[in-house]
Amino acid sequence: MSKESKSPYLPATTQKHKGLSRTLSIVVLAAFAVFLYMANSGKILGSYELRIIRLCGVYAIAALSMNLVNGFTGQFSLGQAGFMAIGAYVTSLFIIPTAQKTAMYYVEPIAPWVESLQAPFIVALIIGGLVAALAAFLIGFPVLRLRGDYLAIATLGFSEIIRIFITNMIPITNGSLGLKNIPDTANVWWTTIAVAIVVIFMLRLMKTSYGRSFKAIRDDDVAAEAMGISLFRHKMLSFVIGGFLAGISGGLLASVVGAITPIYFRFTLAYEILLIVVLGGQGSITGSVVGACILTVAREWLRFMDNGFSIGPLTVPPIAGMRMLVFSILLMIIILFYRRGLFGSNEFSWAGLLRVIKSIPQGIKRLFTRKAKAEGGGS
Amino acid sequence: MKKFLTVFLVLAMALALLAGCGSTGDGGGGGEDSDVIRIGVFEPLTGANAAGGEIEVRGIELAHEYLGDLLGKKVELVKVDNKSDAVEAATAASRLVENEKVDIVLGSWGSTLSIAGGDAFKNSQTVAIAASATNPNVTLGNDYYYRICFLDPFQGTVLANYAYKTMGATKVGIIYETSNDYAVGLRNFFKNSYEELGGEIVAEAMYQTNDQDFNSQLMTVMAEKPDVIFAPGNYTEAALIMKQARALGYDDIKFLGGDTWETPPLIEVGGEAVEGCVITTFFDPDAPLNDMTTTFVELYREKYNEDPAAFTALGFDVYLTAYKAIEAAGSTDSEAIREALKTLEVEGCTGSIRFDENGDAIKDTAILKTVQDGKFTFLDTVKID
Repeated sequence: MSKESKSPYLPATTQKHKGLSRTLSIVVLAAFAVFLYMANSGKILGSYELRIIRLCGVYAIAALSMNLVNGFTGQFSLGQAGFMAIGAYVTSLFIIPTAQKTAMYYVEPIAPWVESLQAPFIVALIIGGLVAALAAFLIGFPVLRLRGDYLAIATLGFSEIIRIFITNMIPITNGSLGLKNIPDTANVWWTTIAVAIVVIFMLRLMKTSYGRSFKAIRDDDVAAEAMGISLFRHKMLSFVIGGFLAGISGGLLASVVGAITPIYFRFTLAYEILLIVVLGGQGSITGSVVGACILTVAREWLRFMDNGFSIGPLTVPPIAGMRMLVFSILLMIIILFYRRGLFGSNEFSWAGLLRVIKSIPQGIKRLFTRKAKAEGGGS
Repeated sequence: MKKFLTVFLVLAMALALLAGCGSTGDGGGGGEDSDVIRIGVFEPLTGANAAGGEIEVRGIELAHEYLGDLLGKKVELVKVDNKSDAVEAATAASRLVENEKVDIVLGSWGSTLSIAGGDAFKNSQTVAIAASATNPNVTLGNDYYYRICFLDPFQGTVLANYAYKTMGATKVGIIYETSNDYAVGLRNFFKNSYEELGGEIVAEAMYQTNDQDFNSQLMTVMAEKPDVIFAPGNYTEAALIMKQARALGYDDIKFLGGDTWETPPLIEVGGEAVEGCVITTFFDPDAPLNDMTTTFVELYREKYNEDPAAFTALGFDVYLTAYKAIEAAGSTDSEAIREALKTLEVEGCTGSIRFDENGDAIKDTAILKTVQDGKFTFLDTVKID
């Protein structure tokens, strides 16, 4: 998956395994594609499992968009929910059949120009992304002058402003009643290929002078500026690309879920995406993808806990919300043991995976020898 | 920045933990069995709407215990939590019909959640019956979604009639919650029927969920000297509006609201200020509509030692309707159930229930309540043709 190994600074052992890792990656990816093909034709998985895979893709793109701004450019932005909302609404308005649009807007009649909007899904998705990017561009002017926490607060505020705009533009967005009957076009192929394109784009981008400038700004903006990097231009570029990607993920989300309301795009959505980014590792592209999958799958997989379960002699009665409790504890454990996220700022590599597997017995040993410190882990 | 982030995450997780501490209930695990009829309960058991979900589930459980076996088979409730979140609701709905393979679905509290789940029910051709989702969009364009509560248009008509005819109000001011689909819908239907009756909406003001200060809205509306203020929305905000109106010196203005107001916090927050406000609702334990109401109230009081809420009554009725529909259909086949629902008439504890071609309940009775001496008291039963 990773092409980081091109770097001449890597140890010789990694270079030696380069051919092997590439073959492994290709085999795994091909197996995954065959699996998806079988799954999509309904042979292995039902629509429930497929929905989860699609959601993984949607969240992965959202996380990548946030990672670009937060992890790679070092600008702590929480505006993703707003851009996703724009993408979701614009895409939906282009793909909902006209007749259904008319029926849905019963509080205030739909604006005629909105009613006539129609486009194929791919075009709608890209328009959604572009409108979100435009919003990011406009918002970028005032907010990118800020740094750190102030930037986070300002972007959060703008994201809420976007949501309130959507709530109140009733002839266009149907206000708080939301949109429904959004065609279910985004199947697993759509979402997976979208993730693949975004991942490849990001990997490539990080190799260009722009990507390196983003990282330079993240590491030390004063030094970067001294080296002749235009801070504002690069921050803006990162922010706008981030907005575009968030818009795409919003559009896919709308199609996967089939119904959207402004309430869904509250700031809590931004936290959820931030959680994925931090879990996967800030500045790690594959980390965001893996983080998104873990979070989405774990939340669903833990559902059995709500119905009561037993571990050996201990029987837990059915408690609604048990899974979220366990889920939160699991997250805390991960963050306590992997402070920099699962991948840190590295990318996935087979050698890395091997290292992790090898280090597990040692880690357990260390856990027992340093009891005093390990107690915080709460096992 | 890192420290900030850590604090942030810890806070987020603590919140998630808090949200996790929802209600209790006994869900059925167990494998699949053709001797069992599986009824899916699609409700928010955690998250922002958990309280609403819980009181509805209580009614469903009560009816489940009371009615017992169906078609000679055991009935099993399969509860799935939709976490008060639209995306989660769509997944949960998909899980119910795909993995749990339920025969019929009940719920959800909250129209937004029902709409999000609607596609999964439609695609898998599973009949779903909502208990309290009042938004017309829930059943619109979905042949498999039914509902047993009255719709916002009906509620709007009842309130408009009451304001115009009984209260004799010719000028009404509206303060409504724009971020709440329920409030926006209700305001619209109220406005339409009130203007049709010949009344005039003199002023309108809006607010957002979780707003605290309503002075400017109140002053804008009161400047036009309305006879009554109609304020559809959440109970907390509604209570604050009434309180602030009294504080501004508008002691005589009357307030009208919808069924969401009927919760203890309205009185706790509003205190004396909410005295005399009028609301519509579908159920009152002290105004039995038929024998089923009496049975239900007795069962509930026996089990929980308190008076049931209106949503619990709807929960009871939604189970009753599903039960009767499967009984009339003679099988758990979706098409047979849909055929049965066409002609079915159920005497529920919230009145008699029939369905129109949209799958919406045809109800003609609404109950009006008012707050008197710190209690919701029965005011009147209204029939609309």
